[in-house]
Amino acid sequence: MRGKLLAAAIAAATAITTPAMAQDRGGVLNFARYDGSKLIDPIYADRNPDIWMVGSLFDTLLRSSPDGNSVVAGLAESHEMSDDGLSVTLTLQEGLQFSDGAPLTGDDVIFSLNRARNPDLSPWAGLLGSIDDVSASDLTVTISLKAPDPTILSMLATFNTAIVSKSVFEAADGANDQEKSAAIFAAGGAGVGSGPFYLSGFEQGSSMSFSANPNYWKMGADGKALPYVDGVEFQIIPDDATRILKLQAGEVDAAEFIPFSRVAELEADPSINMNLYPSTRIIYSPINTREARADGTPNPLADVRVRQAINYATNKDALIGLVLQGAGKPMTSPLMAAATQLSSDLGPLYGYDLEKAKSLIADAGVAPGTKITFTTLAGSADDSTIFAALQQMWAPLGIALEVEQVDGATRGAKNRSGEFDIHTYGWVNDVNDPSQVVGWLGHTPTAKAVGTGWENPEFNSLFEASATEINAETRADQYAQMQKLYADSAPLLFMYETPFAVAVSNAVEGYVQTPLGNNIFEEATVSR
Amino acid sequence: MAIIQYTLKRLLLMIPTFFLVMIIIFLLVRFLPGDPAIAIAGDRASDADLAAIRERLGLNQPLLVQFWLFVTNTLQGDLGRSILMRAPVTDIIYDRLPTTIFLTVYAVSLSLLIAGPLAFVAALNRNKWPDAVIRTVFQVGLSMPVFYIGLILLTFLAAQLRWFPVGGYGDTFIERLHHLFLPAVTVALYTSAIIMRNLRSAIIEVLDAEYVQFARAKGLPDRLVLGRHVLRNALISTVTLLGLSIGNLMSGTLVTETVFAVPGVGRLMLEAIFARDYPLIQGLTLTFAVLVSVVFLLTDLFQSTLDPRMRLT
Repeated sequence: MRGKLLAAAIAAATAITTPAMAQDRGGVLNFARYDGSKLIDPIYADRNPDIWMVGSLFDTLLRSSPDGNSVVAGLAESHEMSDDGLSVTLTLQEGLQFSDGAPLTGDDVIFSLNRARNPDLSPWAGLLGSIDDVSASDLTVTISLKAPDPTILSMLATFNTAIVSKSVFEAADGANDQEKSAAIFAAGGAGVGSGPFYLSGFEQGSSMSFSANPNYWKMGADGKALPYVDGVEFQIIPDDATRILKLQAGEVDAAEFIPFSRVAELEADPSINMNLYPSTRIIYSPINTREARADGTPNPLADVRVRQAINYATNKDALIGLVLQGAGKPMTSPLMAAATQLSSDLGPLYGYDLEKAKSLIADAGVAPGTKITFTTLAGSADDSTIFAALQQMWAPLGIALEVEQVDGATRGAKNRSGEFDIHTYGWVNDVNDPSQVVGWLGHTPTAKAVGTGWENPEFNSLFEASATEINAETRADQYAQMQKLYADSAPLLFMYETPFAVAVSNAVEGYVQTPLGNNIFEEATVSR
Repeated sequence: MAIIQYTLKRLLLMIPTFFLVMIIIFLLVRFLPGDPAIAIAGDRASDADLAAIRERLGLNQPLLVQFWLFVTNTLQGDLGRSILMRAPVTDIIYDRLPTTIFLTVYAVSLSLLIAGPLAFVAALNRNKWPDAVIRTVFQVGLSMPVFYIGLILLTFLAAQLRWFPVGGYGDTFIERLHHLFLPAVTVALYTSAIIMRNLRSAIIEVLDAEYVQFARAKGLPDRLVLGRHVLRNALISTVTLLGLSIGNLMSGTLVTETVFAVPGVGRLMLEAIFARDYPLIQGLTLTFAVLVSVVFLLTDLFQSTLDPRMRLT
């Protein structure tokens, strides 16, 4: 396993760095973001603008391979899982240093992992529930587990297990860990990082600066330490149109979250590269499957045939054309994006078939004029388009679709309380393993199967069994079965996957947004 | 002496106002569907995670207990910690309020600079072509949404002509004047339209007043008549109008700050509401209440110096 891993690491490293031969070094990359970070701490990051920046400041013991299907070396140059699956032994690279020059040791690893798995501190502690103890001697770190955990290696490559400096935390002001963390982040001066950068400036809601970590372990194509740029300057520009103008005016080198309606225009601009990065983002609509609605009236969507019918009556390609201007693809697995490990390719789920939809509706005995409410995000142009399209697509089934517009928090509350018929929703994996998304979408005890109330005992027991299944084949088979069950029951309106749209000026090369959404600047260059 | 007594009385009267504001905002945010736990972590947290977050934030305590804590802490100058920003609310507001005040004062100054002279030109040329042109142009300004004007200005003056930066707010005073020019103009176009119309009709009214005709009959030069008699009297209603529209101006910054990426409290309020950040919403609302009350007080004081008839009682 160890040899194979090293080979994979070398292959991955060369795959990433091949295009960069004669490297431009230096310069600052100016990056326009849609939303600002609030606190970049591995264990407290709970919003995407925080999570997606953790890796730039704090490195993990392992890293996801570029294809996302395995792990490669990170701060640990190698790892080994015991035969009984009850312990993982990792060997740290020699001479690791934090950005301030202090050595990165096993003590920092123990401190970081113990913080990360403390349920009183981190909302992500559940992901590390299998860990019993973390110990270290010299360069060797041993993680012992309470039970075999097939996700543990992926978790060691996930943002919440990134390594922070124990001594910095011990020296920080604050009565408890939360206050210390906030104080470190808000200090404004140079922070201490284990990643390719360290935080060198922060103004709430307006800007943020990363400076290159001079002691970073990873080497660039020119044999010198990464990153290539001296730093990254972030500006927070929440308005889509303004962010694009800023890029067009040359005031920034990159702008993220380009609305899909503007992609074609930017693709035509010779001074801009419009990048569409493959993602694990899926856009779907939970359907309330409970027998009765929250107000006590009978729920027509409790009948699986009705849920299947609206899926068949939805022309996903047309939706993708309308909402994404073609920049997306229909979901092929009911539970995850195609880029997620263990995803089944079931073809375009519920391909458009109006006749089949009509006959299913007739079988279910749905009366013409049946009212169904579609809850959308107020102010979202995408949601309004989706609603208008679905209203027309479902009209032939005799369904009168009505809209209810709410804000994000209200939509979340309605999802939890079951006070909805159908609503829009989206998901991006935080973890390079399907267990998180499958637990969220399908496992009833986790979150009522994304609020749908769908409960399938076979699915739930498959999910629970897979949580401790270390035989890769058996686990893959469990996931295949869960996807089949879920597709047939259709607790969701299956919609589409969308890429991450980031526009960069021609001066920028090597910036990547991973399928999990992480912004990777370590190999970015900017030529002036 | 009367002015000090009056000010003290008004300040005392603000206390019940603020208390009422506190009760209303405390209840209002909690009647909104969704809570901070759902708003921040809800889209992927399990039911158990949400329960843990609520407990950590003290959201599972009885409402009365939460309100008692809010009131007693506020009285000690502690507005709590923002759930979203994880920092003390007072620090965050202290950081971002000056930007919004700067923008608002800038916008009001620009409005007066634009509206003042044009109102005179319009009034003195009543129902002739300059009057018609000025009124038509302002009518257009009044009927366009603020964000749309903002985007047009950004596209032409910033992105294409590069006269102004597209966003941000600069570091020095001069930089800020430069950076915030477009957002201030955007707000000013709207307010100056209102001020211009009001000032124009006030000037016309004053011009017809007997004391102005008397002043002219005395043979005072036009400059003096306009400056001392007309402007001074016409300004009274304009000051009132400006004072009353402070609320509108503040809510205008909500949109402008988002379009122009200005990190002020307007945009912060929007973020706070979406995140159901109770402490931050409460803190910001109180701040707005204080600002508006102070501006109202200043308006009244200013009026009394302009117009001796408005005795302070």
